[in-house]
Amino acid sequence: MTKEATPKNIVFYADDDTDDLELVQDAFDNYANNVEVVTALNGLQAYSYLQSLGEDDPSPCLIILDVNMPLLNGKDVLKKVRSIPRFDTIPVVLFTTSSSPLDKEFARKYNAGFITKPLDVSQMEAIADLFIEHCSDEIKKNIRKHLL
Amino acid sequence: MTMMEFYCLTESEQINMLYRHGVYVGKRKSGKFAVLLYQLDSFYSEVFYYNYRRHIYKIRCSDSMNILDPYLEQIAVEHLVS
Repeated sequence: MTKEATPKNIVFYADDDTDDLELVQDAFDNYANNVEVVTALNGLQAYSYLQSLGEDDPSPCLIILDVNMPLLNGKDVLKKVRSIPRFDTIPVVLFTTSSSPLDKEFARKYNAGFITKPLDVSQMEAIADLFIEHCSDEIKKNIRKHLL
Repeated sequence: MTMMEFYCLTESEQINMLYRHGVYVGKRKSGKFAVLLYQLDSFYSEVFYYNYRRHIYKIRCSDSMNILDPYLEQIAVEHLVS
């Protein structure tokens, strides 16, 4: 009898800064057994990817969006994503250099988290956990199971 | 906060101050360093990394607009005049 491998949880991250893309991918390295990070390089690419997911394709367990991106910014992607029934409750985090109260309020309005990009190693070490905290309890447990 | 007050803080306090109150302006490369520019009240602060967003080489401040020059040079404006 064979046992099928459990599919990984997909974290979808859109950012036009390739250094930040690499940074977040590295941050999830500790969870590599359970998490696959899928990336997009601008807002339009992000929205196109999410819109193109078929019924049989797994939805991301978490969507991370940079705010300042070309073609379509992260806030516009968030608005569009929330208008798709499939994604109206999926956890989304705006991950940005901004610490503006207006941007935080925007995130709250669209039921999204808000994390300012870290500036040093002490903030960086906690970043994957901060992201995972936005997932549902079941997903959190699933992602962290190998660490128990 | 003034630039002098900022310089009196420890590096960790400076980073926290930039994280909470700084306004991100831009990013550039300088040799082997990645550099992030923030505005804090009436001055600018550049964070030089030898390991991006992780390990800081130095933090430099200036109240001169000249610090913006390398960031402004990166902005493509050709399409505005063509």
